[in-house]
Amino acid sequence: MKSVPFFPPALFERDREAALAFLWEMGTGAAQEFTCGEAVSALEADICRETGARHAIACASGSTALTLALDALGVRPGDEVIVPAFGCQPIAGAVAGRGAVPVFADIDQRTLVIDPAAAAAAVTAATVAIMPVHVFSVMADMPEVTALAHRHGLKVVEDAAVAAGAALGGVPAGRWGDAGVLSFSPFKPLGTCGEGGMVLTGDDEIARKCRLLRGPGGTAGAGAELTGYSSGMDELPARFLMRRRTTLADRLKRKAEIAGRYSEALAPLAAAGLVRLPPADPAERTWCHVYALLTGSRDELREHLAARGVGTHVYYPVPLPAQAAFARYAGGRHFPHAETVGRANLALPTHPGVNDQDVAYVIDAVYEFFRAGRRARRERNLHRDL
Amino acid sequence: MRPTRFFDGRESFAAQWNDIARQVNRVFDHGTFSQGTLTAELEEAIKKYTGACFTIGVNSGTDALTLMLRAIGAGPGDEVVVPALACASSASAVCDVGATPVFADVAPGSYAIAPDAVRSRLTGRTRVIMPVHPFGRMADMATLRTIARDAGAVLVEDSRQAIGLRYAYTHAGLFGTAGALSFAPDKPLGALGDAAMVITGDETVADRCAVLRHHGRTGGEPGVSSPAVIIGINSKMDELQAAVLLARLPWLGGAIARRAELAARYTSLLAEITHVITPAAGAREDPADRVWHAYVIEAERRDALADRLSRSGIETRVPYPVPLHLQPAFRHLDGRSGDHPVAEATAGRMLALPLHSDLSLSDIERTCRAIRHFYRRNPA
Repeated sequence: MKSVPFFPPALFERDREAALAFLWEMGTGAAQEFTCGEAVSALEADICRETGARHAIACASGSTALTLALDALGVRPGDEVIVPAFGCQPIAGAVAGRGAVPVFADIDQRTLVIDPAAAAAAVTAATVAIMPVHVFSVMADMPEVTALAHRHGLKVVEDAAVAAGAALGGVPAGRWGDAGVLSFSPFKPLGTCGEGGMVLTGDDEIARKCRLLRGPGGTAGAGAELTGYSSGMDELPARFLMRRRTTLADRLKRKAEIAGRYSEALAPLAAAGLVRLPPADPAERTWCHVYALLTGSRDELREHLAARGVGTHVYYPVPLPAQAAFARYAGGRHFPHAETVGRANLALPTHPGVNDQDVAYVIDAVYEFFRAGRRARRERNLHRDL
Repeated sequence: MRPTRFFDGRESFAAQWNDIARQVNRVFDHGTFSQGTLTAELEEAIKKYTGACFTIGVNSGTDALTLMLRAIGAGPGDEVVVPALACASSASAVCDVGATPVFADVAPGSYAIAPDAVRSRLTGRTRVIMPVHPFGRMADMATLRTIARDAGAVLVEDSRQAIGLRYAYTHAGLFGTAGALSFAPDKPLGALGDAAMVITGDETVADRCAVLRHHGRTGGEPGVSSPAVIIGINSKMDELQAAVLLARLPWLGGAIARRAELAARYTSLLAEITHVITPAAGAREDPADRVWHAYVIEAERRDALADRLSRSGIETRVPYPVPLHLQPAFRHLDGRSGDHPVAEATAGRMLALPLHSDLSLSDIERTCRAIRHFYRRNPA
């Protein structure tokens, strides 16, 4: 049977020899620096050049980057930070890890990013920051979020973990907030052979603090000025990223192509009310990382596709406020859009290793499922929710 | 003349290359790049090496401290007693979990936290005692264990500098509830980047650390993002670092022996220089009481000496320039000059000399000659 895995198998196989060569050069090189050395500086400089960011500070992971940004922006215990209810744990975990309070706001049901109106309603006297997150393939509504932040004097931490290479109105993802965060974990658009993350900022003082915080917190000789996290980025993943960066645009282009084919072919199912496709608009806010459709028969469709050898992924089935770790911050409130999307989303394979035949095969398998026609009642239920 | 670098692992690396390349190839064969098969293998290997029942690979030594403190439940309102002379992370990790570091003076010579000083710093809020094994020399664990038990405090070990260090058949990190091991590049078992491990005999602590290192998630169904049960962080070990460490583990015994040989050479050549205090030998007769993670002397006119050595192409490091209670990051804790006299007096005299496997005996001789020369030119 044909197999179309969701995550690329043999990830980085083409980069194996290069990684071995980098390792040899590092091990035998005169610098003998393995964390935050020349390669990390070069990567930071490259990303600054490409995004137009004034400062880039590379660190051990995207989660670490969120922590550095929040700490450098002065988020302290008891402060409230508004975060979306739908997304990955670090969004709330990095805030709670500082002793601050994540205050959840529901998402827009169509774009799946934080709903600016819900965010506005969550502002209190204790709110110090808002953390919009770009989700799947849509950037958060940064103009609206930024305007909201200005009205209330809030800092903006832009979680662009999945959005390397995306842009809104000509401004690259990661450049919108007071600080923006990128992640380089292996399956991100700009993934590396390990973990890595980065803070982008235009503010000299935030950058200076992030640099201290990613190290021991001070410069040699003077002792620590800040309580640092000793979480700099390693040289090897930085070298690896320098290489992978050159093919990012092509990979994103191929993913967008695959997404385009899915949307075109599945449009009749959407017109018949059987699925919701990812929004193609507003065009200036979309790119392609994850292609997730919404359906009331999600688990059955997933099972059907698995039986056909098609790998899929369910993102965030339990909204953050409903997870045991964060329930204490939700106060029992419900987030209907996050809950519905958690129940309904199913991501299809879009990695560049998926060829045109694979795409056609996945589309056929989806049609095969809906042709069975047993889904109508469930779909009506979903659409009532949505 | 060839400069003497503080750390330079090029020769060892080249000698180990076949082993390293073989393990790195396995990472690409598996196609997982963080916390996968090789990390699990390394965790097993370190269990065997240390005798720990549980090992949890993490991203860095500082993360290992943070995770172990979180796993035992240290948080806001709790006090954690740490040495006044240590690297800033020993106290930063405490702050990171929201607890309060309380500094205790160190013992002269061993530089490890002094049991009497610990006793004097206990309060009703003391939750944890976290000694460091400075430069690979064991703190007085027997006494500290008694103090912790009497105070109802949890004993955990900042054993980041202590791989290979055993006393009474127990590996450093396993005297208390949990310990942290660092595999930073300049350690006897060093990665080519950051990597570390929590070791423990406590299954609950082990389970919590394993959940905490990956966003607080517990397993779950493949292909579905799993929810978080506790607030965690992202601190997975890179598979490529695990590969390097697996390749290097069989060389660890040799690296430890080589460092001991080099250290003995330093000690015999520096013995006659009255301006220098060489590291005290182990307090007990057990030679394994000490593993040479660093060779640290106390030197008169330390900064001038370091400067002179630097001009001769010999790199040294000041391990702890400022005691923790006097560093700006911890000033809000009301530390004052004079609080911890041994730490304060020692911080200004300590100097770490180069010590790594690839150093030659003639490098050591040259360094000692330069030190002798400095004091001959500057007798007072």
